[in-house]
Amino acid sequence: MIAPQSRNGGVYIENEWIEQQALETGEEKVRKPVTDFIAKLFRHKGAVFGAVIILLFVCTAVLAPWLAPYEYDKPDISAVLQPPSIEHLFGTDEFGRDIFSRIVYGTQISLRVAFVAVGVSLVIGTVLGALAGYYGGVVDYIISSITDIAWAFPTTLLAIAFIAALDTGVENVIIAIALASWSGYCRVVRGQFLSLREREFVQAARILGMSDARIIFGHVLPNALAPVIVMATLELPKAIVIEASLSFLGLGAQPPDPSWGVILDSGKGLLDQAPWISFFPGLMIMLVVMGFNLFGDALRDILDPNS
Amino acid sequence: MLKYIVRRIALMIPVVIVMTLIVFSIFYFAPGDPVSRIAGPNVTPEVYESIRRKYGLDQPFIIQYLRFMKSVIEGDLGISILQERPVIEMIQERLPVTLEIGLLGFLITFLIAIPAGVIAAVKKNTLVDYLCMSGTLLGTAIPTFWLGMLLMYFFAYKLRWFPISGYGTLQHLVLPSLAIGLTNAAITARMVRSSMLEVLNQDYVRTARSKGLLEKVVIYRHALKNALIPVITLMGLRLGWIIGGSVALEIIFSIPGIGRLMVDSILARDYPVVQGSMIVLTSSIILANILADILYAIVDPRIRYG
Repeated sequence: MIAPQSRNGGVYIENEWIEQQALETGEEKVRKPVTDFIAKLFRHKGAVFGAVIILLFVCTAVLAPWLAPYEYDKPDISAVLQPPSIEHLFGTDEFGRDIFSRIVYGTQISLRVAFVAVGVSLVIGTVLGALAGYYGGVVDYIISSITDIAWAFPTTLLAIAFIAALDTGVENVIIAIALASWSGYCRVVRGQFLSLREREFVQAARILGMSDARIIFGHVLPNALAPVIVMATLELPKAIVIEASLSFLGLGAQPPDPSWGVILDSGKGLLDQAPWISFFPGLMIMLVVMGFNLFGDALRDILDPNS
Repeated sequence: MLKYIVRRIALMIPVVIVMTLIVFSIFYFAPGDPVSRIAGPNVTPEVYESIRRKYGLDQPFIIQYLRFMKSVIEGDLGISILQERPVIEMIQERLPVTLEIGLLGFLITFLIAIPAGVIAAVKKNTLVDYLCMSGTLLGTAIPTFWLGMLLMYFFAYKLRWFPISGYGTLQHLVLPSLAIGLTNAAITARMVRSSMLEVLNQDYVRTARSKGLLEKVVIYRHALKNALIPVITLMGLRLGWIIGGSVALEIIFSIPGIGRLMVDSILARDYPVVQGSMIVLTSSIILANILADILYAIVDPRIRYG
């Protein structure tokens, strides 16, 4: 059987149809879209490559205490500014600290900031977008106006402004990035809600007397999530770069914390003498960003073939 | 057309008002006492009270905001706490430096992105296309400030083609602009490629070809013109990104631009300067977006909003 073509294309509408079919024909078909999706991911070269890179970094963050050969903040005056070698894979800095160990621990900061900040901004943006799109009218007008203006601010500058007001530090970087980057989700979710709210299944839910909250979160939102997930995947690398830039500028994580930005900054004045200090953390940022970009682009290809 | 331009500019006014409200609120609701920020922690209650009154900090939020708006409209962005000079003067010194880097960055973007995007689109699915697209994959992932440091290492320290840091001659601007231009070119080249592919499939291009025109004429005279229209809007949107990226580069290359001014002021807690810079920068970005929209409507008569 072929799923009926929906106006919006995407898998999310198809899910709903398959759920319906499952009610009639039994459990088995519910699994189909999921396995289908995973099969498509495995066939997509970019997705597999991206996922492998992301997994490597996640494992590095989780296994940091076992992977790092030295403590990240322990100075060693007998090994100051050593170039990369077998003992120190990525060399050492001006305090004799092992750059490899610092980078391994820095992965924890980068990924934590990225996932928490993106998670928070996703929730803020999704809720606001859902309210604006579902209720329309004045609610929509107010939320949309604020969103459009927040959208006009460049994320990095807005995050810098929040840091200026909040003070430096990793926790404040998370807040700043979250507050600076929710507008994208809001716009996407609002658009989805506008097109979904007139559909038959929403009207049916309304006629059945369901509460607005149940319709929004239980019925419309699940069908609007695909582009949000794609967007979040592509926002993660941006958050990683903003965290690194803020820490590099002295506005984020503070030394001796091993944020990649802090390590890059510590190598800035020693670029001629010890280029490895700045080279490796930058390379890691590039790799992890590439991993998320590849995976996110692949997700978009699969989930959102129309865009 | 004139009507559209007037309406588009009128629409900018509420945006700027809300923008200033947001910037003002960020600093108004910031944790910490604004009087101590100005006067330092150890002051007598009398001095404290006089400063509070002098800066109008004893007034309610809305009055403070309206006063702030009034002085912003009059072109007064307050006085720097650290340097005790008008903020607007400091911005006037620093902004042109950042704009120089930005403009040179845009120039480099176009010089690389347009040929690369066109060639990739024309030679779709060939080795040339794959090379260009791998380049853009790398370019979108590389952090701008790290690229700046790499360029500094190779071209200033090792090859000694350019000065290491500082400001004054065109040579000083080359490396930071190159860092911005190269990363910006990556995203632009992708856009040019997909836009070009779309245009090459259109009927008028087929007509041009069937008339027997040279392939070069078809591509450069007929297709490219239309393919570049969406790129105009992208450039308007990229200005904010370029200024954001320029902040770290100004620090690396010791360039006295507005980004460096902002970071120095944040670290020194000189809030009026941060606030003023934010307002000037975001207003210029909003203005640039509107100019891009208007330009877009001029080049493409099909697009007229409302």
